[in-house]
Amino acid sequence: MNGNELLAALPAAALSEYCLRRLDRFSIGLIEHAARQAPPALSQRLHEEWLADLAGRRGYVSRLRLALGCWWAAQVIARECGIVGVAAVGSGKAVAYAPHAPQFLSRRTVALLLITCLHLTLIYLLAIGMEHKTVSVPPAPIIYDVKDEPVAHQPPPPPAAPRFATPKFDPVEPQIPIESSADGSGISGPAPERLRDPGTPASAEIDRVPGGPGEGFPNTADYYPDSSRRLGEKGVASVQVCVDAGGRLTSDPSILRSSGNSRLDSGALTLARAGSGHYRPTLENGRAVSSCFPFRIRFEFRD
Amino acid sequence: MGKRDRNVRMSLQTLRVLDAFLENPGDELAGADVQKRSGLASGTLYPILLRLESAGWFLSRWESIDPSSAGRPRRRLYRLTAHGLAHASEVFASFGRGVPA
Repeated sequence: MNGNELLAALPAAALSEYCLRRLDRFSIGLIEHAARQAPPALSQRLHEEWLADLAGRRGYVSRLRLALGCWWAAQVIARECGIVGVAAVGSGKAVAYAPHAPQFLSRRTVALLLITCLHLTLIYLLAIGMEHKTVSVPPAPIIYDVKDEPVAHQPPPPPAAPRFATPKFDPVEPQIPIESSADGSGISGPAPERLRDPGTPASAEIDRVPGGPGEGFPNTADYYPDSSRRLGEKGVASVQVCVDAGGRLTSDPSILRSSGNSRLDSGALTLARAGSGHYRPTLENGRAVSSCFPFRIRFEFRD
Repeated sequence: MGKRDRNVRMSLQTLRVLDAFLENPGDELAGADVQKRSGLASGTLYPILLRLESAGWFLSRWESIDPSSAGRPRRRLYRLTAHGLAHASEVFASFGRGVPA
């Protein structure tokens, strides 16, 4: 059983005989109507031809489909043929169908002309006609309506983030006579001295030699900031460093007394960091110990 | 190609109809037969048949039977003309192969 037969069998089982007869009569009526819609020269021929094809069909649905198709074909034929069809019923040689009656302008040509005209109109309007004209309208008077705005209860602002104040620490700079370095490096440190703890008896004196820049310490001139050199800035910065017994920094050096110029201070700190490992540690009774001590870095020009 | 031939639009449906006739160019086929071979709906098929007939590619005639003795109405039979056969062969040769299914 193919698809058409199945389609025909299903409604046949569902519909009554009466309905099927009505359906078949409708199909025949539709074909007769379609044939009448065709051009008169073809009407009789198509009527007979389609009814003959309908008679060869089995199944009500198949016949209905043929009738609907014939109705659609009649519409197409009538549209294409117009009234120009030539009678050919019973004739094997005469031309029965004359589609596309000769016209001065075909439908396609008319469409092209319309599109061209539309484009030309648009171009013309764009060129001269579609200017935006502004009309000066006096501004409307501004109406003020002052209203008392209710005071909004705003939530209290969140507490400010706690700021941790950096403990200020005033180091006591030892009173060391400032002398220009003998080696010309611009770095001078405290001179060795004997410190006595006031709470200890004289017998417990500690022979303490404060540390300072030692052998191999970088040269100040190498860390003279270029910008300061160009601007002719000079000064003396006092740097506090903490070193271990091996002469290496144990913490980041800090400016104890500024030179008065941030660039020179920055250069002094860079130099102090670069000198790690080249510090002379503090000696207590001849033994190297970890300690913090200040020293000065002088930036100046030399001939 | 003559003036009437220019009215024949070589659509896929037209090619299917021609292909149905080219199976055996000497056959005379009724509309229902062509419909079975080409798989086209009747609403598409009959305008094409009439169009090709008016272009001279087909000839049609009524079946030579007596409807009362045959018990059925006579059918309209179409066959390919020599002109239609030549043009149909030319069209299919230009495509190189048959009509896609």
